[in-house]
Amino acid sequence: MTADATRRRAIGQILLLAAGFLVLVAISASSVMLVNRAREDSGLVVHTIEVENQINTLLLEIRRGESAARGYLLTLGPEFLADHNAAVAAILPDIDKLAQLTSDNPAQAENIRKLRSAAQDRLAQFAKEMDFVKQGQPGGAVALIREAAVSDTTSSIRDVAVAMRGEEERLFALRNINADRTQRLASRVTIAGSALVILLAAISIFLVRRSARARDEAEAQLRDNNLNLEATVDERTADLREANNEIQRFAYIVSHDLRSPLVNIMGFTSELDELRADIFRRIASLGRAAGSAPVPVLVGENEPELEGEDRQLSQDFSEALGFIKSSIAKMDRLITAILNLTREGRREFEPVRIDTRELIETIVTTVAHQAAEAEAQIRIEPLPEIVSDRLALEQIFSNLIDNALKYLKPGTPGDITIRGRTKLGFAIFEVADNGRGIDPKDHQRIFDLFRRAGIQDKPGQGIGLAHVRALVRRLGGTMSVHSELNNGSTFTITLPIKWATTNRNRDT
Amino acid sequence: MSKPVTIIMIEDDEGHARLIERNIRRSGVNNDIMPFTNGTEAVNYLFGKDGSGLDHKGNALLILLDLNLPDMTGIDILRRVKENKYLKYAPVVVLTTTDDSQEIKRCYELGCNVYITKPVNYESFANAIRQLGLFFSVIQVPPAAP
Repeated sequence: MTADATRRRAIGQILLLAAGFLVLVAISASSVMLVNRAREDSGLVVHTIEVENQINTLLLEIRRGESAARGYLLTLGPEFLADHNAAVAAILPDIDKLAQLTSDNPAQAENIRKLRSAAQDRLAQFAKEMDFVKQGQPGGAVALIREAAVSDTTSSIRDVAVAMRGEEERLFALRNINADRTQRLASRVTIAGSALVILLAAISIFLVRRSARARDEAEAQLRDNNLNLEATVDERTADLREANNEIQRFAYIVSHDLRSPLVNIMGFTSELDELRADIFRRIASLGRAAGSAPVPVLVGENEPELEGEDRQLSQDFSEALGFIKSSIAKMDRLITAILNLTREGRREFEPVRIDTRELIETIVTTVAHQAAEAEAQIRIEPLPEIVSDRLALEQIFSNLIDNALKYLKPGTPGDITIRGRTKLGFAIFEVADNGRGIDPKDHQRIFDLFRRAGIQDKPGQGIGLAHVRALVRRLGGTMSVHSELNNGSTFTITLPIKWATTNRNRDT
Repeated sequence: MSKPVTIIMIEDDEGHARLIERNIRRSGVNNDIMPFTNGTEAVNYLFGKDGSGLDHKGNALLILLDLNLPDMTGIDILRRVKENKYLKYAPVVVLTTTDDSQEIKRCYELGCNVYITKPVNYESFANAIRQLGLFFSVIQVPPAAP
């Protein structure tokens, strides 16, 4: 999975969430809106019913006024009069209330106007009837009633009421339909929104699960890769170790086998040396017998006096043998050095806690004589304690201190300092001197086996630093040199503070 | 000593063998020296055809042994000699170029009597062999076990 795809997927998730959120907001808003509309619609429906109710109340009051008037006319009972008066008094306020209720509807307002005038006419008739009755002329009142019953007033009231009711019924039906529609709409919107939210949630869950699965797969892959990597590293390490062991064995066997012929060469060269004495003694005696020379004076027991060419021959012979012998001796030293190095390489290191200062003080004590001869002083600054191989450390520091003493500047009192500090789990040691220094172009060379640098006025095989560097590497450290010609040298060794036996050391 | 001691020299390098023999002679030892240049011949001679070593019953032997042989290692010969009931009393002198301390230790553990490293320095070598010759002239070598 590429980073690009991952980013796209993340953006997709965010968009999805945002879409879900937006849908929720839209649903909530429209729900609130629709609920409000539904409430309004319901209010209107209720309003219509109230208007109808009010119309009915008005008509009832008018009927009540009429029937009470008739009752009064027939019986002259004061209770009918009171009832009539109460009904009549209620008519106008009822009309006002109705007008107020229907003030938003111009058609109804027109109706109300008609109704009001009709009602006022009717009230005037009532008043006349009551006047007739009060004046004791029931006949007039009856006539009036009869007239009223058939007059326009009553029918117009009825017509207007019917018209108003009709209008209200129309409105009622309309508003009912509206309210229903709004509610249906609200429910649809809610259902659709919920469905959408559920869908988005499902997609989200699907995507999340997919990416989780992808992540799991990636993790598994990573784990596998790690394992593979470790296996590969182990394999390579094993190969390297095998190759290293092979080289060690090779070096060991070769140097061993080289030694065998060397014993012969040296042995028979020495035999030749013995023979040389015999040969030249014989030559001398032969020469003496052939010539008439005086009796030669014997120089030594085995060295007869030789003449001219013979003497030259003898010297050449000795010189040749001398070169052969010194070369053999050198070769033997080299072979011995290789043997020791390979033996060192095969030795198992044992990590122990080492008081470095004490260790170096011991070394300094052993070289005290050389130091005194070279008029050198060796200063040891505080050094960190480390866990490492004691013998290896001894060899490292004694080689470096030996070198420092060996290559001092003639005529300058030596000053050798051993410093130490720690940094990030490593102990850094410095062996600094004020000696003759090393040309920067030789800095690499001095660590090579059998290579040396500078004036060759001191005995040595060119092994010390190669050996030291091999040891430092085996101890998991590094080594470097800072030096200029005639300006002293500083060898820096970095070793792990806590060296543990690793696979590297398990070479057998 | 009923029979004179025979020196068995197992040494693949003829030059070494010559030098050793010469220096032994120079030290005045005149015993028979039987040289073998490989392990197989030496083993055949020492243990006989049946491998029992019965042939040497009653003989006094001194074995000079090189460890690096072309066909087998001297260590095997040493072990077999020291395990054989007839030969185990024969002194074995290991004379080799190997100066590995482990190897030396192993030889002594197997019953080697003397271990000498061949030095390249001829004087030391000749000296060591002559000392060995002197040693031969004074040590008592028991005959192989009855």
